[in-house]
Amino acid sequence: MTCESLSSVAGAYLDDELDAGLNVQVREHLAACESCAKVQNQLLALRAAIRDNAPYYRAPADLSHRVRTAVRRAERQSGGAWRWLAVAAAMLLAVSLGWNIALFRSRTSGADSIAQDVLSSHVRSLMGTHLLDMPSSDQHTVKPWFNGKLDFSPDVRDFAVQGFPLIGGRVDYVDGRPVAALVYQGRRHVINLFTWPAAASGGDTELVRNGYHIVHWNRAGMAWWAVSDLNAAELRKFEYLYNK
Amino acid sequence: MEAAKRLLFETTILPHLNAAYNLARWLTRNEHDAEDIVQEAYMRAFRFFDSFQGGDGRSWLLAVVRNTCLTWRRREQGMAKVPFDEGVHSPGDLAADAETRLVEQARFGNVRDCMEALPLEFREVLVMRELEEMPYRDISAVTSLPIGTVMSRLSRARRRLQDCVTGRIKGDAQ
Repeated sequence: MTCESLSSVAGAYLDDELDAGLNVQVREHLAACESCAKVQNQLLALRAAIRDNAPYYRAPADLSHRVRTAVRRAERQSGGAWRWLAVAAAMLLAVSLGWNIALFRSRTSGADSIAQDVLSSHVRSLMGTHLLDMPSSDQHTVKPWFNGKLDFSPDVRDFAVQGFPLIGGRVDYVDGRPVAALVYQGRRHVINLFTWPAAASGGDTELVRNGYHIVHWNRAGMAWWAVSDLNAAELRKFEYLYNK
Repeated sequence: MEAAKRLLFETTILPHLNAAYNLARWLTRNEHDAEDIVQEAYMRAFRFFDSFQGGDGRSWLLAVVRNTCLTWRRREQGMAKVPFDEGVHSPGDLAADAETRLVEQARFGNVRDCMEALPLEFREVLVMRELEEMPYRDISAVTSLPIGTVMSRLSRARRRLQDCVTGRIKGDAQ
């Protein structure tokens, strides 16, 4: 690889968008070529500078409420002439959905329905209403908070140093029972870690549903389910830290 | 029916409110416009939700937000004949020591100003890539640009940003 051809893919290399073969060629060239390595380091520095200084603007607290109201308004407006057609279509859809769900149910195991529960809880928690009952980054505050709210005491750890700070906890419902939900942050993503006492059934699992990654493991008589839109590798790293 | 549609909408699209707001905020550079745009975009998104084929809800929503921004911007421009992007800060000629200072001091406090000053087409890809951490495929879905174009636009955006940051540092030192 020449310096010139490297410069045309330097950004894509930084963004991890090259295929494996090209990736190796770039890495080898950078290891051998000081001037290209310098340029690549500038790109890295620029990225760090952007992420440190350019703000990620979070939606103001009341915007979520206003958006919901707007959606309801759009929902009402969408009635009218199309309504009857929509009713007919919806009935057809309901029949076909019912059929598919029946088919699906008959094939799914308990783990699948738990994964579904875990995912719904995660999504609900992000919808701005109920992420944390107990906001705290201190594991020694979060753990005792569960006393009296659950019939078990979850193992609460903090991985702030490793890039996954604990931000709090809440009580949630999964698989028809109250469970502890521990909430972590991984870069800009939220990780919900659900745990409750359960006999180990099946091995570790890793799933992708609706773009969310779900990782499941059993340890010390407890079931653990981590879910996030963080990428799979980072979520596995999180799991690894928990089990170390 | 409508309620089922809303439920699906609420689980696939509503959770991306922060992403929607962040993009709108960067594109308009104004918090009030961004809020209005996000509201309008969500209404549009709900109306056109039937065209959502599943897949990545965030990209789909951001495409709607982006279109709403572009419409908004055309309307604003129609009213006041002022160009939206009032030019990019001139990078100035880049002295070697300024570049060194860039690396050494790493005083990047003006990164935000420089990003705001970038033309829209560069600003949007940088925001999606660096702040939203989206893969090229998703950026391509939002902007309807081919992946190769996303790649080259990002690379030009980075170069312009680097030039601006470096130029500013030199300016500050004088």
